[in-house]
Amino acid sequence: MAPNHSNENGSIGSSLHGVTAREQIFSFSVEDAPWSQAIRSDDPTAKFALPVDSEHRAKVFKPLSFAKPHMRAFHLGWISFFTCFISTFAAAPLVPVIRDNLDLTKTDIGNAGVASVSGAIFSRLAMGAVCDLLGARYGTAFSLMLSAPAVFSMSFVADAGSYLAVRFMIGFCLATFVSCQYWTSVMFTGKIIGLVNGCAGGWGDMGGGVTQLLMPMVFHVIKLTGATPFTAWRFAFFIPGFLQIIMGVLVLTLGQDLPDGNLSTLQKSGQVSKDKFSKVFWFAVKNYRTWILFVLYGFSMGVELTINNVISGYFYDRFNLTLHTAGIVAASFGMANFFARPFGGYASDVSARLFGMRGRLWTLWILQTVGALFCIWLGRASSLPIAILAMMLFSVGTQAACGALFGVAPFVSRRSLGLISGLTGAGGNFGSGVTQLVFFSSSRFSTAEGLSLMGVVAVVCTIPVAFIHFPQWGSMFLRPSQHEERSKEEHYYGGEWTEEEKSLGLHEGSIKFAENSRSERGRKAVLADIPTPETGSPAHV
Amino acid sequence: MAVQTFLFASLIIFSSIESNHGATEVSLFANLENSLEVTAKPTRVGVVLEAGKDMVRITWMLKSSAKVNDDAAFKTVEVKLCYAPISQVDRPWRKTHNELSRDRSCPHKIVSKPYDKIPQSLNWTIDRETPTGTYFIRAYGTDVNGYEVAYGQSSDAEKTTNLFSVEGISGRHTSLDIASICFSVFSFGSLLVFLVKEKRKAKLQQRK
Repeated sequence: MAPNHSNENGSIGSSLHGVTAREQIFSFSVEDAPWSQAIRSDDPTAKFALPVDSEHRAKVFKPLSFAKPHMRAFHLGWISFFTCFISTFAAAPLVPVIRDNLDLTKTDIGNAGVASVSGAIFSRLAMGAVCDLLGARYGTAFSLMLSAPAVFSMSFVADAGSYLAVRFMIGFCLATFVSCQYWTSVMFTGKIIGLVNGCAGGWGDMGGGVTQLLMPMVFHVIKLTGATPFTAWRFAFFIPGFLQIIMGVLVLTLGQDLPDGNLSTLQKSGQVSKDKFSKVFWFAVKNYRTWILFVLYGFSMGVELTINNVISGYFYDRFNLTLHTAGIVAASFGMANFFARPFGGYASDVSARLFGMRGRLWTLWILQTVGALFCIWLGRASSLPIAILAMMLFSVGTQAACGALFGVAPFVSRRSLGLISGLTGAGGNFGSGVTQLVFFSSSRFSTAEGLSLMGVVAVVCTIPVAFIHFPQWGSMFLRPSQHEERSKEEHYYGGEWTEEEKSLGLHEGSIKFAENSRSERGRKAVLADIPTPETGSPAHV
Repeated sequence: MAVQTFLFASLIIFSSIESNHGATEVSLFANLENSLEVTAKPTRVGVVLEAGKDMVRITWMLKSSAKVNDDAAFKTVEVKLCYAPISQVDRPWRKTHNELSRDRSCPHKIVSKPYDKIPQSLNWTIDRETPTGTYFIRAYGTDVNGYEVAYGQSSDAEKTTNLFSVEGISGRHTSLDIASICFSVFSFGSLLVFLVKEKRKAKLQQRK
């Protein structure tokens, strides 16, 4: 097997070299060493179904395989995330029935929608810590099985207050986004992690679309058995509840935390020393780019989450569709995630190959702005076919923007990589809470007006991407710095460590990452022949 | 992929272009004659009525003040349950609209009877699926083609008098509650069992 070229320009997935900051990093590339081939024939990596790197992470992505442990972890991860999306948005297509049962006002419905996405702001931040301490398996299982009771408790709901409380508690399970991405990051090597995470994220997000089809169908079937609508919708929630329990059990029995085994039974050796949380937190928060991405994701994923909550009711009320048909239309919004999000990640990788980081930023801006423009059009469309067309184009633009954003995020920081992913993810939920509160929770705007206004605000809030500037790569409008020191990747990533930490060699991982990230110079990276500068650290052999 | 989406969407557009042809005559509420006299008397007055249990006695007839041939166009009378303004507050899906095809304030059909010159009445048991709210009754006189030509309602023009309140069923069932509790306990329980089992396994491994 020919050795892989780790620094190949813009190979798919070179963007997301490890989503969390916890991977083992070596000071020189073990994969390319000629003697690594000889080792493989009689070393334990031979037992893996897929070719693996020196950390036993899979080097190949085979979506149709369920081989233990890598592909199995991928499938368990994205299906768990998918199931949580189904539960969180299960109420949305049934709102026309629920609002009559509980005598809800538009404000009540809007507030419950805000609540359904707010819980995850905190649970997503906490999930990173849980995965570190207990492993991705338990993180996922906790999320699934501790929120399943909340799903079942829809049978007790009798008024607006309890409805809101239950939707809030169900919303906590969206933390599976973090555990799913964490799990794939420890199972798949950096070169392909972009595509793997884009698929896992996109296919999981599809749950928001599938639920718009599934719940009306389940509701209809239960009504056929003779139940009144006001009982049928409560019983319908048992289905997402069951799915969560089943997935929880599967994750615990079939899943594995790490390629070599489970966290609790593994003897850990040669582990990179754990970084201090306070430092990681400070460098994430101090970096202004983190907050720009927070806002941006709030208006791509945030808009997507909001639409999952309001679109079915919008088509039901405005175009007089049946619950079932409105569900089908709404579902197509979420289902576009199947290809749209991976496409966004891929487009980001391709533009990086040609134009470097500047290409990624432009791709992100274009996709998100175009998506938002189609959202404005959706609100203004008064005929059903035009509305559907606008919605489809809007969905592709916005979801691809989500994928493209995670092509930029890993480069913002190396030390605080995991926390930035968590913060960005929380930003998505925050944006959704804000948009639902402002545009869809009062009678001030009709839903149609709300959609158009949300699109306008999304266009405006996408402009900050022009301010993301990397000294070594430039920004949308500015060229990279010409300064000798600042134009090096090592300077940017090394800047996150103090001199004391550097003298201890703690920053080695960042330096390696900086070398690999030279691909973000675009075509110029091929021409540049920059040796790794002396960083003042003791030589490591 | 974007191209495929575009083609699919254009297919939908072109196949639906027909749907707006043959634009129908628009009936406006403002154009209707208030020539029907409608009364609605709940069997229990002054209390909130229960859906599926309580009854309302509805009567309708041509108003005595109506001119001689006002009812010439009527073929059928459609009696509907309508939301009072208080039940429409902050609920745009129940909005009153002048264009009758877009009006959402009278979604619940009670009965549809052929028009008879004699006063008609009905003892209507409130439908079990009626949502909680405050209501009045309206009857539309429709012509041969089904278009409304006249109406009458049990309340006044501002819809403030003679309203009655209905309490809908909760939809909750004890069996559902019990099942919900059982499955929740199972969910927590199985998680605990796994945690304990794995801790034990880890301890055994350490001893080895």
